[in-house]
Amino acid sequence: MWRKSEEANPSSKPIIKAESAAADPSPAAASLATMPANPAVPEPPSAPPASIAAPEVVSVVTDASPSQISAGLKIRGEITGTSDLWIDGDIQGKIQLTGCKLTVGPSGRIKSDIEAREINVLGTVSGNLKAAETVTLGNTGRVEGSVVTRRIAIEDGARLRGKVEMVRVEAAPAAKAAAASARSGAASAAPAEKEKS
Amino acid sequence: MNWSAKLRPSGPAPSQAQSAKPRPTPTTAGGAAVAAAPGSPNVRATNGLKEFLWLLSDIEQPRILDLGNVSQATLNFFINKGFRISTEDILRSWKEFIASEEDSLRRMPPGQETGRISQASLAEKFLADAVSYPEENFNGVLVWDLLDYLDSELMPRLMDRLFDILRPGGVVLAMFHSRTPERYHRYRVLDTQSFEMVPTPTISVHARIFQNREILDLFGKFRSSKTFVARDQLREALFLK
Repeated sequence: MWRKSEEANPSSKPIIKAESAAADPSPAAASLATMPANPAVPEPPSAPPASIAAPEVVSVVTDASPSQISAGLKIRGEITGTSDLWIDGDIQGKIQLTGCKLTVGPSGRIKSDIEAREINVLGTVSGNLKAAETVTLGNTGRVEGSVVTRRIAIEDGARLRGKVEMVRVEAAPAAKAAAASARSGAASAAPAEKEKS
Repeated sequence: MNWSAKLRPSGPAPSQAQSAKPRPTPTTAGGAAVAAAPGSPNVRATNGLKEFLWLLSDIEQPRILDLGNVSQATLNFFINKGFRISTEDILRSWKEFIASEEDSLRRMPPGQETGRISQASLAEKFLADAVSYPEENFNGVLVWDLLDYLDSELMPRLMDRLFDILRPGGVVLAMFHSRTPERYHRYRVLDTQSFEMVPTPTISVHARIFQNREILDLFGKFRSSKTFVARDQLREALFLK
């Protein structure tokens, strides 16, 4: 299923290095088999779920709906990408989803640092959270580690063991873009001046 | 009690100075007003918190440790005031730790039990992990009323640990019930002079009512203390390292 998705949309793909899948292929395959079908990418019934069992880089499709790592799936390795992700499985490895939303579902367990635009924790996380916008701890959420974010929302019943650090709101995107273009303009002008001299 | 550890500035007393300023509206992360109504029976005025804030007012970005239930209102309050805050729900963590230890003992095969583990050694083991902060790391600690609920073996060891992780001049805010509370509460700071006591499902029975002398003995290492007794007989106490 995941290999098919990669073929369907190779340009934008979060990468999951599923090292442990090789060691424990049957739960992974079972879990993949239970994953909901992606309506945007038709999936042939013969798609071999064993693709995740191979010790290679595995991709998930980028789509409007979040990708999912279902309960029962264990991944040991780094997850990076540009897709929203819902995790109900067991992850040991850094998760970096720049500009995207990560949700740790009620049965999700993560032992690593997480970096994303928005982090929503309903399960258990042992690691540091760094969110560009918001960290939300649901009433079943449990975090052991520091939280660095711009906004934090904590429901009654949530557990947080660690340091909370709020980052200042940066300049508006338009102002940032203007500043960046000004910088790039200055940078392009500088070599020209050098060439003249 | 000698409370001259921190000399008051030449300006007005803290209560007068704060009364001159407009009282801040408590807000949540999204900026919405906190739901608790000012006249709510669960909202109570606090002199202890006001004094706690004043004692830390000279410090730039003070570090504090909140040992109670994590609360968004409390986090926002302190973060907006420039504090750096760490949280550790000590009572719940202790309960979970004990349950986990009992579970691991139960799972041991017959004949391999190492004998009954004392509460004292369990408390040591727990604190080594749960309060594993560097020494002199914090300027203040919020204990709330947790000492009324903690295990008798854990409590003195926790106090020793708190003393170690506090910087010189650091302050502890603790509260003690004068009669057995009807319910277990979480505490949410609303503003500098009030907090809300939110009734919460009990995770531990109320263990004791401290006499004043017992409180002073418990905080014997601290150099000074100050106690406020409210109409509801809840004693708010500050202890200065």
